Amino acid sequence: MKRFGLMTTSALALAMMATGALADVKFGALYPFSGQLALLGEESARGLEIAVDEINAAGGVQGEKVVLERGDAVDNNQAIGEARRLISVAAVKAIFGSYSSARSIAASQVAELAGVPYFELGAVADEVTSRDFKYLFRTNPTADHMGKLIVDMIVNKVAPGIGKDPKDLKIGIIHEDSSYGTSVAGHQERYGKEAGLNIVTTQGYPAATVDMSSIVLDLKQREVDVVLQTSYQNDSVLFLQQANEAGYKPAAIIGGGGGYSMIPTAEAVGKDVIEGVLDADFTQYAVNTEFTPGLEAFVEAYKAKYGSEPRSGHSLNNYVGAMAILKAIDKAGSFEPDAIVEAVAGIDIPQGETAAGYGVQFGAGNQNERASMMGMQWQDGKLVTVYPDAAAAADMRFAN
Amino acid sequence: METFLQVVANGLMLGGLFAIISIGLTLIFGIIKVVNFAHGEFLMAGMFLTYLITTQLGLHPYASVVVVAPALFVLGAVTQKLLIQPLLSARDEHVQIFATVGLSTAMINLALLIFGADIANTPSSGLRSSIQLGPVRILEGQLYILICAALLVVGLEFFLRRTQTGRAIRAVAQNRAAAQLMGINVNWIYVLSFGIGAACVGLASSLVAPLYPTSSTIGTYFVLTAFVVVVLGGLGSIPGAFVGAIIIGLLDSLAGFYIGSDLREAVVFGVFLVILILKPSGLFGTRLKLSHIS
Repeated sequence: MKRFGLMTTSALALAMMATGALADVKFGALYPFSGQLALLGEESARGLEIAVDEINAAGGVQGEKVVLERGDAVDNNQAIGEARRLISVAAVKAIFGSYSSARSIAASQVAELAGVPYFELGAVADEVTSRDFKYLFRTNPTADHMGKLIVDMIVNKVAPGIGKDPKDLKIGIIHEDSSYGTSVAGHQERYGKEAGLNIVTTQGYPAATVDMSSIVLDLKQREVDVVLQTSYQNDSVLFLQQANEAGYKPAAIIGGGGGYSMIPTAEAVGKDVIEGVLDADFTQYAVNTEFTPGLEAFVEAYKAKYGSEPRSGHSLNNYVGAMAILKAIDKAGSFEPDAIVEAVAGIDIPQGETAAGYGVQFGAGNQNERASMMGMQWQDGKLVTVYPDAAAAADMRFAN
Repeated sequence: METFLQVVANGLMLGGLFAIISIGLTLIFGIIKVVNFAHGEFLMAGMFLTYLITTQLGLHPYASVVVVAPALFVLGAVTQKLLIQPLLSARDEHVQIFATVGLSTAMINLALLIFGADIANTPSSGLRSSIQLGPVRILEGQLYILICAALLVVGLEFFLRRTQTGRAIRAVAQNRAAAQLMGINVNWIYVLSFGIGAACVGLASSLVAPLYPTSSTIGTYFVLTAFVVVVLGGLGSIPGAFVGAIIIGLLDSLAGFYIGSDLREAVVFGVFLVILILKPSGLFGTRLKLSHIS
């Protein structure tokens, strides 16, 4: 009897050791899960969750199961508070986040001071990686990539499509005047000048504007051929509506992310008004999947887990970044911050081998230098990828 | 010349929009002396109501006003009765201001909870079609807003000057204590006035909703301009609000076109400050009333 007891005890101990070997490793998931940014914050976090599920099903990282501890970054102060909690109370080995640039800039400061790796998968502001942090890495494309893609698209695709030399096109840049719109417009001007484009006007306006008729009139008077707008939702709707009502029909309108990619925007302005409008944004789903291997499997996994189609490209881009990072951490040898940083810095994934199309390799400021955006066009009420050619699911259309 | 006329027409239309939104605000301020920071959220509530009525029942947005205006009247009256009234006797009148700030935040978050962060589109029912008036092009819906704003000013002035209730309201506005001594039920007048002010916002909601997508934060886009309009026109003056709104609309449009869209706010607020320095009580304002101290 006594011996039996001893045996069960040792069996129990063995069993405990076995589960000990499959112990959990905790990572933080810091996103705005409530408040005004909750919709796309949650959508972003879903991409990370699907990546973690996939990694765990394949044996975890360094043989350990990944567990996500959520932190709710409702505002900048809470982003800081939650980053502190994740690091000191939950003892996470790294933090993934954060959708919003302002939240990311605030929270990553805490992580940097504590020496905990911080992986940004979705915030676009330049400042995130312009601070030369040691423990911060960003996988997604930025405001700079947006400006570059739009200029490339004008030179290589829009100008030939209209049948004009790119230098003969009159370009008008309008942007909401917070740091987001201003920085994208700055990149558009810089890349535009490098490409020899004729930018005839650059105008900022407050995002909470209720009237854009004077801007429309001004663009119409200057006979601008290509309008570039960087905007949120309200001002995207307002500009498209008021341009249409004033009878202003430029050869091309190119929006930058935000409001231009969303179905409710198309519904608000009407499908015939938004037809043909171009847009630069993160990789979306109507794309040539040969360029984005794994995209279909991602969508299937998403539908199985959440019971609906992905609501935006945010989940996909977070998934791609998280997969690259988690696979690198798997090879790191330990969960020490410096070991993780070294492994992640060595990532080398070429173009066209991730579900978002872009590759991963970190350069200055630990920004993914291979990240890029794609050009999309509203065709028959749907947002379809049209640029670059390798990723295009349809030809770019021009009204003539 | 053609362009100039178009810019002026755009400014007039914008002024009409500011006017219809500001009239309720100036009415409430002039009578109850409460700065209602939840004014924009009243507009938001009215626009969502218009959206629901038009999309669920298939009515024309203008028809929804028969429900929206009374509903906003009740919302305003209840706000006065349950939130402002208990605070009227507070030693510091700023307490009421912060109560309305709290109401505003609560309403925005309630709308976020119910409708989410997305925009809601009220069917435009043809109101977005433009009409050609000589050399200028304007939206049908905007023209109706301008006409309704003018009619509302005339109607309210008539009500306040020619009816018994209107005179009682003005008496309370001029001197609360004296009006009470004359046998006027001051608290009832306050509830009624807040209700009427809110009902004006209800009318504005049904006119504005088909032209602008509704969202939980739509009120914040309009409320700052509404305050500027009301102060410029003279706090509490209804014709003042109308004239102030037209001035701000014209300035916004002219500055936006001839000076630059990045500078138009600087111009609008610069002119606003100059007018206030020259005439501190606003264009149609009277000197500080004694009732403010009583």
